[in-house]
Amino acid sequence: MSKYIEMIRVRFLMMLAYRTNYYSGILIYSINIGAYYFLWTAIYGGQEEIQGLSVLQMTTYVAVAWMARAFYFNNIDREIANEIKDGKVAIEMIRPYNYLGMKTMQGLGEGLFRLLFFSVPGMLIVALLFPISFSANVTTWGLFFVSLMFSFIVNTQINLLTGIMTFFLFNNSGLIRAKRVVIDLFSGLLLPISFYPLWAQSVMTYLPFQAISYIPSMIFTEGFVGSEIYTAIALQAFWALVLIIPIQVLWLLAKKQLIVQGG
Amino acid sequence: MFYVSIFFQYASQYLKTRLTYRVDTIVEIFSDLLFQAVNLIFILVVFGHTSLLSGWNREEIIFIYGFFLVPYAIFSSFFNIWDFNDRYIVKGEMDRVLTRPIHSLFQIIMERMELESLFGVITGIVIMYYAGSTLGLTFAWYDTFIFVAMVLGGAFIYAGIFISLASIGFWSDSRTDIMPMMYNIGNYGRYPVDIYHRVIRFVLTWILPFAFVGVYPAAYFLKREEWYFYAFLTPVMGIVFLSLAIFLWNSGVKKYRGAGN
Amino acid sequence: MMNVIEVSNLRKDFISYSSRSGLSGAFRDLFTRNYKVLSAVDDISLSVKQGEMVGYIGENGAGKSTTIKMLTGILTPTSGTVRVNGMDPHKQREQFVQTIGVVFGQRSQLWWDIAVQESFRLLKKVYRVSDADYNDHMGYVIETLEIGPLLDKPVRKLSLGQRMRCELAAALIHNPPLLFLDEPTIGLDVLVKLKIRKFLKELNEQYKTTVLLTTHDLTDIEALCERVVLLDEGKIVYDGKLASLQENSVEGKQVEFQFLANVTEVQLPHRREVSWEKKDGQTWIATVDGDERAVSRLISEVVQRNPIKNVRINEISTEEIIRKIYEEGMATS
Repeated sequence: MSKYIEMIRVRFLMMLAYRTNYYSGILIYSINIGAYYFLWTAIYGGQEEIQGLSVLQMTTYVAVAWMARAFYFNNIDREIANEIKDGKVAIEMIRPYNYLGMKTMQGLGEGLFRLLFFSVPGMLIVALLFPISFSANVTTWGLFFVSLMFSFIVNTQINLLTGIMTFFLFNNSGLIRAKRVVIDLFSGLLLPISFYPLWAQSVMTYLPFQAISYIPSMIFTEGFVGSEIYTAIALQAFWALVLIIPIQVLWLLAKKQLIVQGG
Repeated sequence: MFYVSIFFQYASQYLKTRLTYRVDTIVEIFSDLLFQAVNLIFILVVFGHTSLLSGWNREEIIFIYGFFLVPYAIFSSFFNIWDFNDRYIVKGEMDRVLTRPIHSLFQIIMERMELESLFGVITGIVIMYYAGSTLGLTFAWYDTFIFVAMVLGGAFIYAGIFISLASIGFWSDSRTDIMPMMYNIGNYGRYPVDIYHRVIRFVLTWILPFAFVGVYPAAYFLKREEWYFYAFLTPVMGIVFLSLAIFLWNSGVKKYRGAGN
Repeated sequence: MMNVIEVSNLRKDFISYSSRSGLSGAFRDLFTRNYKVLSAVDDISLSVKQGEMVGYIGENGAGKSTTIKMLTGILTPTSGTVRVNGMDPHKQREQFVQTIGVVFGQRSQLWWDIAVQESFRLLKKVYRVSDADYNDHMGYVIETLEIGPLLDKPVRKLSLGQRMRCELAAALIHNPPLLFLDEPTIGLDVLVKLKIRKFLKELNEQYKTTVLLTTHDLTDIEALCERVVLLDEGKIVYDGKLASLQENSVEGKQVEFQFLANVTEVQLPHRREVSWEKKDGQTWIATVDGDERAVSRLISEVVQRNPIKNVRINEISTEEIIRKIYEEGMATS
């Protein structure tokens, strides 16, 4: 276990070293959230609320969705793809750890870094510039962080899946890109799921994506109340468990492939 | 002239490679289409809950989006330099580029071109055609030329911004995630800029002038006369930004540190 | 004769940042960083004549690559002047690189996914080589390097040795009068190395191509270069003939005698310029401080008194000489 924690620490340090990233990142996220704030204000026009969300809640939704993205987002799909293409994966395989576990920990290190040094100060800056409502309820915060943890897990699992696919496709940069677009749209980052037409909403119930962004953001904005929250977190947990299956299956197949092709 | 023939030489090599990896090419076109669809879906969903966006109706916003796709497609076919720092500076590929008798930026554009992105031009025109006919827009013969000038202006602006960002790599070797985020900011130029706070409007007009790759030039075709001044500024802004970027690039090359030292 | 390369007081400084250790150190690095200036190349002057083959050697980090990169116009010098083929490499880059060929052993010039000849065709276009020149010159290159059968294969399918020969050919498409080779034989097996050396020699004889070569493998230098330039910590420590480097730094020659029976020191001839060292009872090593005549005189005296099984004159290898220079400094210059 300690080696995985060490990996988190190393990634954390690496992130600190990229300081240009750090300054520019906060600025750009703020601009992003700002632009969305105005866009949504314009969309609301004079309307009090849309789909049960007020303008204030909507702004908070956008802000928290982007800041949460800083935590769960990582590039390990691309990293895995590159390591497979460069043949480095074969070396990683003989190291005394679980490759996928290691990648996940790297992602977590990165995510924790961004959460502490990026999302938290970023959120404070955004809260100064735009009207954002923070819940006073400690339980809401607690549940939000539980839900955020699950969104990291589900998103990372999907990244692992896309990364492993490189074993079977020659060049999967197209797939990686497509995945990113699909996640932005179907996870609720751009639009709360409840804004979609009903038929689309029912389709999305069967997909894991809303576990990534929609659920934590709705909990944070208190768009979900009471038992809705627990059902939503249970749904995240459900997906986190289910996704283990395809990952393990593909990983086994990939290892076979690696032996056949010799990396 | 020499550069034109070099372009065709590279393009034919590119097509040969592409034909070797046909599946990838199809997946790539597909993912482009998906990307274009996502933004369209966003607009459609939003207009499911409102009928006007600061005085612009659904078809007008869709038209702006369609227009945006055309210069964007040209930009993304030729200016795939978002990973310039990693690919050319950290890995030292720039060394090789600099030992060849062609302008370094031109070589990189040639090496990194992705012609299949040009497919977006078609998507854009189809979307504009749909929105335009719903709105009952009419065009004069010279509008074609104006369209071409506006599209090139828009593509130049995009190129200028991204080349400038890539040039930062010559001075600072630390990795930055600015590039991918910049793609997001580019999206805000597709909405009527008067919805934004004046600071953001100023940024989108003069600093990162993405508004010239969407709402301003499209306003000309939508006959929104209050924006004509900005619309006709599009090619000028394009040339100015591209020139600045090339200047920045050229001075950056002098600062190139090489890899692995 | 004209100097192809003319370098004076050349210097290249790099700023390097050091990071503090630990988490709090890294956090402090966010705001201020420690840095220091390092001179990778420190006040170098050098000139190379047309048709010379020069070996440019030094340890890792001695500044070899940095010099080559300044000579080829990749890097701008911090100070000093560089003129290569009568041009300023960095300022007139596009015109200048037309007159040089460069091979980086660690980096490919060729396009990974397409056939070798497609890469050649593209480069032919890039360097504006006419069909006639191309056929004439590249016909010879392709034949001598024996890469004809490889031309229709994509680069990623080639072995390292095959690829390296193609890289070399690619660097010669425009028949440049000056060729820079940075570690061209790294990782290659002996046969390929020999092939490449032979080719370079021929090229030099036939076209008077000037070659500047950096390598870790000193046998490359021995086989190709009359002149070596030795670099240490960014400074030139030796510039001259390879042969005189060997002569000057060898403190005498060693002769190893293997006798048929055990021999004691009194049975051996004693002179001022000879010192003896016992390896075992039957084997003695003499270090002679003198030229070939002193050596042959010694051998004849020894052989007259004692029956011998074997005599060996040990040449000190270039590698040893160079190691010595790095350890002890250049004694003779």
